[in-house]
Amino acid sequence: MEYKIVGHNILRVDGLAKVTGKATYPEDLYMEGMLYGKTLRSIKTHAYITVDTKEAEKIDGVIKIFTHKDIPHNYYGVLFKDHEVFCSKKVRRIGDPIAFVVAITEKIAEKAIKAITVEYDEIESVFDPVDAMKEDAPLIHDRSNILYHYKLRRGNIEEAFQQCSVIVENQYKTSMVDHAFLQPEAGLAYMEGDTVVVCAATQYPHFDQLEISEALNIPQEKVKIINPAVGGAFGGREDITLQIHLALATWVIGKPVKTVYSREESFVAHSKRHPMIMNYKTGADANGKLLAMEANIIGDTGAYASWAINIMRKAGVHATGPYEIPNVKVDSYAVYTNNPFAGAMRGFGAAQVPIAHEQQMDMLAEKLKIDPITFRLNNCFKLGSTTATGQVLEESVPLIQCIEAVRHKLNSKANDTEGV
Amino acid sequence: MKKINLKVNGVDYSVEIEEDVRLLDVLRNQLRLTGTKEGCGEGECGACTIIMDGVTVNSCMVMAFQAEGKEIITIEGMATKSGLHPIQRAFLEEGAVQCGFCIPGMVLSAKALLDKNLTPNREEIREAISGNLCRCTGYNKIVDAIDKASKYMGKEGDVNGI
Repeated sequence: MEYKIVGHNILRVDGLAKVTGKATYPEDLYMEGMLYGKTLRSIKTHAYITVDTKEAEKIDGVIKIFTHKDIPHNYYGVLFKDHEVFCSKKVRRIGDPIAFVVAITEKIAEKAIKAITVEYDEIESVFDPVDAMKEDAPLIHDRSNILYHYKLRRGNIEEAFQQCSVIVENQYKTSMVDHAFLQPEAGLAYMEGDTVVVCAATQYPHFDQLEISEALNIPQEKVKIINPAVGGAFGGREDITLQIHLALATWVIGKPVKTVYSREESFVAHSKRHPMIMNYKTGADANGKLLAMEANIIGDTGAYASWAINIMRKAGVHATGPYEIPNVKVDSYAVYTNNPFAGAMRGFGAAQVPIAHEQQMDMLAEKLKIDPITFRLNNCFKLGSTTATGQVLEESVPLIQCIEAVRHKLNSKANDTEGV
Repeated sequence: MKKINLKVNGVDYSVEIEEDVRLLDVLRNQLRLTGTKEGCGEGECGACTIIMDGVTVNSCMVMAFQAEGKEIITIEGMATKSGLHPIQRAFLEEGAVQCGFCIPGMVLSAKALLDKNLTPNREEIREAISGNLCRCTGYNKIVDAIDKASKYMGKEGDVNGI
């Protein structure tokens, strides 16, 4: 069989537009008579709020200021509807949207933002997810801060650890990471008859349509999403940012409305990679076979859940790394705090755990006085392996070849250097 | 309001500007040359890179009135009627383009380099694009593309299109 694409060098379909500067990102869209929207955001981590827009509304050129009072259904979110479109009673993090000013120029919108008064009645905040799990911790939402607990049990770790010749036990922490996609959020919304059209760079146009129709309480058929060129995303455009604000403003005012976030606003508007605290105990027998692993992984999802459940489940499922371990106990948690909210980012929970399981492997190898590559080859997944979750790997598992190839390159490089 | 005169991609413009606008704003909002991108607004990311009097600048860091009498090249000025600039062709062929947002700035930084040094080594290429951030590619394919472009330009001797 002849393939047309596989095995051939082909040019990307949107490449020509991109190298000539003709590709259209949402901020490159302009319409006659368009208005500018600007978001007022929380500057406190946890507080009850009182908002007064009266003075700002008097400014010449301000068309309308939207708050929670203007939104029919004031909630959204990919898994739980735990975000408010505009905070009604309290803010839960720095950057929570409070109001959306629409004015005839960007400058006037900025001036109006400064003229809105927000009284913050501060509540105790919690930034450490371990503290947030305690019973007396301040509640971020009206329920437990622990929003998810994933349990994985295989074999009997207590008995297995007793048979181990070597055990290493350590805590690992990863930090919050921003996607920093190069194109900050931007969008333009306009009316097409009685349909509201939102042009925004998004990873999820069909879901944006659903969220907008729910928030505005209008039929899905009255919402159209156009996804122009997207300037990077890496998971950071899975959650809604400006889409509902723009749709609401255009739906009410009837005119095109454009918004472009600054880099600074982009940082506070979208999700982050979950920081994780990972407690690992791993043991092997004298021959260098892994026998048992226990992991407790706490993921800080900040003020909102976003994809926390899927991400912390994935962290738990991948906690052993690509190694056969007959006795495993994993507990992973997603916890609310007053930090920036965490969600999807490249790897989706699978990128943090290797920091822990691979350092455990190195330390075990050192204790066993086995070469770390050999130690991995002795334990890694191959065809027919059973994972900790009970999955039997029946398809391609070329990990041994991969490790061997790396060893070969390392050795030849080492020889080269010696030769010089 | 103030009036400035500048030449962009070989065309003379006379533009009424507000005194606090940046060159980037004039290019994008008034001349609608939206190929020049804003990624950070503080001279860190290089998405707004243009060539002004032969030197690359971040157009977010240049006030519009500073462009009075200057000659500017933006991404829209790279391709000619006869086709793509060799740098653009090499970027396409090497798969150096992903999301594309950094590409206009990258192409202009590459041009500024190759206009002065037609046989750069990979270190010199990396140095030349050190002010341009890319979040997708990991840079290797961009370096490959500029290396390839230098060979095209050396061979063809025609930098103004193929």
